This record gives sequence, structure tokens and C-alpha cells, in this order.
Amino acid sequence: MKYDAIVIGAGPSGSASAYTLAKNGYKVLLIERGSEPGAKNVSGAMIRESEISKVFETKDIPFERIVKRVRLIFRSKDDESEIIVKPKSKLYTISRLKFDKWLAQRAENAGALLITKTTVTGIEGNKVMTERGSVEGDKIVIAEGANALLSMSLGFRRELKNEETVLGVKEVYASTRNEVEKRFNLQGDEGESWRIISDYPLPSAGFIYTYKDSIAIGVGARVDEIITRGIRPFELLDSFKMPYVELVKGFSLREYSAKIIPENGFPSFKPCEGSVYVTGDALGLVDPLTFDGIGPAIISGYLAGKAENCYSYSKMLFEAREISKVIKSRPLVKELLPNIGLYSHLVNDFLTSWVEGDFSKLRYYKSSLGKLMKHLILGLGVIE
Amino acid sequence: MRVEERLYTLRYKRDEKPHLEIKDQQTCNKCHETYKSPCIIVCPANVYSFVEGKIIVSYENCLECGACKIVCPFNNIIWKYPRYGLGISLRYG
Ligand SMILES: Cc1cc2nc3c(=O)[nH]c(=O)nc-3n(C[C@H](O)[C@H](O)[C@H](O)COP(=O)(O)OP(=O)(O)OC[C@H]3O[C@@H](n4cnc5c(N)ncnc54)[C@H](O)[C@@H]3O)c2cc1C
Ligand code: SF4
Ligand code: SF4
Repeated sequence: MKYDAIVIGAGPSGSASAYTLAKNGYKVLLIERGSEPGAKNVSGAMIRESEISKVFETKDIPFERIVKRVRLIFRSKDDESEIIVKPKSKLYTISRLKFDKWLAQRAENAGALLITKTTVTGIEGNKVMTERGSVEGDKIVIAEGANALLSMSLGFRRELKNEETVLGVKEVYASTRNEVEKRFNLQGDEGESWRIISDYPLPSAGFIYTYKDSIAIGVGARVDEIITRGIRPFELLDSFKMPYVELVKGFSLREYSAKIIPENGFPSFKPCEGSVYVTGDALGLVDPLTFDGIGPAIISGYLAGKAENCYSYSKMLFEAREISKVIKSRPLVKELLPNIGLYSHLVNDFLTSWVEGDFSKLRYYKSSLGKLMKHLILGLGVIE
Repeated sequence: MRVEERLYTLRYKRDEKPHLEIKDQQTCNKCHETYKSPCIIVCPANVYSFVEGKIIVSYENCLECGACKIVCPFNNIIWKYPRYGLGISLRYG
């Protein structure tokens, strides 16, 4: 069987690619290993409408809640400060199964053929091998996600190193819509998202997202930190959850999941060769500062679908705002991560000093001014 | 909460053929002594354990997160996906 294009993986990136190709009149096959799109995928998740709407009509997007408040929390062993941000742009929380199904359906509605429960095992020339037989495609898009077995076997990229990999662990606790709204003081479709930066028991970034009738709670830490400190992922999650047990009290645990998040990739990973293109997490396109990976995955999938050749794909990737942001954030995050403790303390000390009207506590940070300046300059580099 | 209790919340369809395999047991013994088996530490689902001096892989519990493959200092794990959509199926994700 021959197709104009074969897309491997029906996550956000693959579905965006298949949708773009099908809309442009290509005969497209979209192959997914899970029993349905989303069945194998994990995110928090919060998404930005401004990114999704570059590719998809977002009118009927299956969101959980529209984020009205984001709580930023800086936590160290003994201190905690909180800043509440009211986002001006439209942010949604989503659960991946519903969201990924919706995305894949856009691709199907545009004419792509989706087959599930089928794992691609290799690519040779324009032949795509699966456990059910092989198919041919003039263009091949690998949108296989962070555990990029195919991209690695074909030499597009290497394996991630421990220090370039975050492991995210997550739980979903369910109750009733009413109860979620009561606990977070929400009305209707309104939602709240929390981001928690902490240096205890190891540098980590956690999240709490409100879904319709449930709460997602999770934390990510770099794999090298997990290994050297010998803290198991579920121990980290338990320690992270401790201050928030009241939030899920009486709720029932519905799901436990985990996934790696890449913190390195394009341009050091090769995005394409000949008629084979790599997109999304497989290309390492997660913003390490915000953990925003779905937006870049969708944009890169769209660009791979649109690109006429490998050169133009690489060029478009560099030019896309969502992708260049990822590349620029990496050096900053490399600097910030070992200093999470410093910043948690700084934010806490600054806020308490302000409240108490005595800034003498901040004397201690004088010796870190050089470092702070460096981070500020790197930070300014992230801003266009 | 124990890991096992968390895993009870999940839907699995077991592939009879293991999707994770250890290439060489001896290497694991060496790794256990020198590196304390990073696969055991990193795995969120307790898939790896030492039983009577031998590493056991309870592949049926795997969350397919991809971490063990990265941390193995000897590249000693043959990591494939479960076939035909088997393995874990998430409801929220
Ligand atoms: C805990 C956690 C929290 C996160 N929070 C957020 C967030 O709040 N916001 C955000 O934007 N991002 C978040 N991310 C990142 C986001 O999940 C990823 O960046 C995004 O899923 C990448 O999309 P993708 O399409 O590239 O890959 P994936 O979503 O991983 O999709 C890849 C697809 O390919 C399929 N596949 C893989 N190999 C094969 C094969 N050989 N044959 C057939 N099919 C195959 C998989 O089953 C899967 O469906 C988070 C990640 C984690 C782990
Ligand atoms: S990390 Fe690798 S070598 Fe070490 S015990 Fe685990 S599988 Fe064996
Ligand atoms: S992929 Fe993840 S869950 Fe599965 S065995 Fe490896 S570390 Fe454990």
C-alpha cells in the first residue's frame, strides 16, 4: 500500500502533521501504537490557545477548565511564598485522552486514515515497517514522542543523558465538579493552575491543575538528581504532595502515570533527512522553563507537514517563535536549576522583608549579585 | 501510599511477550555493587528488583515512561514497546 505521507504517532505533533498534510490534499496514514490516541500519553496539562489556534480551529476544543488564576509558589524546606497571576491570554487545562482524541479526529475529518494498536518498528527508505506489515510513503513524519526509539535507531538523535531528562510523575484525584469548585473557589468553567518550584527534597517543579471533576497533581525532577540522591519518583511525589493533602482529602485516586521530558534537542538533534521528518518531543522541543511541550509539538508537526524539503523545514523551525523560545531557554534553565534553592530563598526573603519593612535580610545575596546578573542577562535573551 | 496501590488504578492489557529484557545478568550484578542499580531507583512502577541475587523485571507493571533505558549505565536493557497497543492504557494522561 502506498501513501503520499505516513505520520508515526497520534500525539499532538503527529495529529497536527497529519491534519496539515490531509488538508493540503495528501493521502495520509496516521499510525498510533496505543489502543486510541492519547492512551499512552502523559502531560499536566495546561495549554495555550494562542499556540493551538495557529493550526486548529479551537472553537470546540475539549478543555477541562479555562485558567483564571495561576498560583506560582516558591518553596524551600522552611519557607514558602506565593504569587498569584491572572493570565491575560487564554489558557486551558486538558486531559490528554480527550485532547489527543480530538486532535486525531481533526486529522481524520480532513481525510487522514488513522490506524491504532499498531507500532512502527522500523523505516527503510520510504518503507515503514509495523508489526502488522509494511506500507510505503513519499513523506514520513516521525512524531513518536520523547522515548524516541525510531529517531534514535535511524541516527536523527542520540539517547538523552540523565542530566537532560526530567521524569514527571503524576496522580489524578477525582470527586465531583461541585467539590472541585468549592475547594478552589471557582465558578462554572473557571480553573486554577499551580506551579510550585521547590528545592526540597531535590530541585523540582510541580503542578496542580484543576480538571472538571478532578485534580491533577504532579512533579518533575531531573533524572540525575533522582539517581544521585536515591529518591524514588513516588517518594518525591509524596513529599511534594504533603503540604496539599487537604486539597485532595476525600477524593479518590484515579490514575498514576509517569513520563520522561526531554531538556535537550533541536538544533543538536537532526530534524530531517531526505523525506523523513522528526517533530515534537522526539526532537526535544519542550520549553524547559515552562514545560510547554504541546504547543511546540503542534507547531513543529504543522511545519513538517507543510515543508517542501528538509532545508525549508529546518529554516522554518528556527524562525518559529515557539521553537526558538525553547532553544533560547535551555542555557538559562541549565543555570537556574542548580540555583533553585537560591531563588526560592531570595523570593521568600524579598517578600518577607517587604512585608516587614526591613531589607537587611537581603544582605546575604550581595555575594550572589554576579550570578544573578548573569541569569538576568540570559533571561533577557529569552525575551525577543 | 504504596506503589502497588497506585498501580491498581491503571488499566493494563498484558503482552505475553515481555517488552523489556535484560541483556546480561552478570552486568546487573556488577552494576548493583558499583552503581546501586539506577533502574531500580528511577522506575516509578517498581518494575526492577533483585530477588536472590538476580534482577527480576516485572514488565507487566511498566508505565512506559522511558526512564530506565536512559539511566542504565551499561545500556543493558532491551527496551521495546508492547505489541498491538497492549501494555498500559491511560484514562486521563
Ligand atoms: C508530567 C508531564 C507534564 C507536562 N505538562 C505539560 C503542560 O502542562 N503543557 C504542555 O504543553 N506540555 C506538557 N508536557 C509536555 C508534553 O506532554 C509533550 O511535550 C507533548 O506530549 C509532546 O507531544 P508529541 O506529539 O511530540 O509526543 P507524544 O505526546 O508523546 O505523542 C507521541 C505519540 O506517538 C506514539 N508512538 C510512539 N512510538 C510509536 C511507534 N513506534 N509507532 C506508533 N506510534 C508510536 C505514542 O503512543 C504517542 O501517542 C508535560 C509532560 C509531562 C511528562
Ligand atoms: S541499571 Fe542496567 S545494568 Fe544496572 S541493574 Fe539496571 S538493568 Fe542492570
Ligand atoms: S519504562 Fe519507566 S515504568 Fe517502565 S520499567 Fe522503565 S522506568 Fe519503569
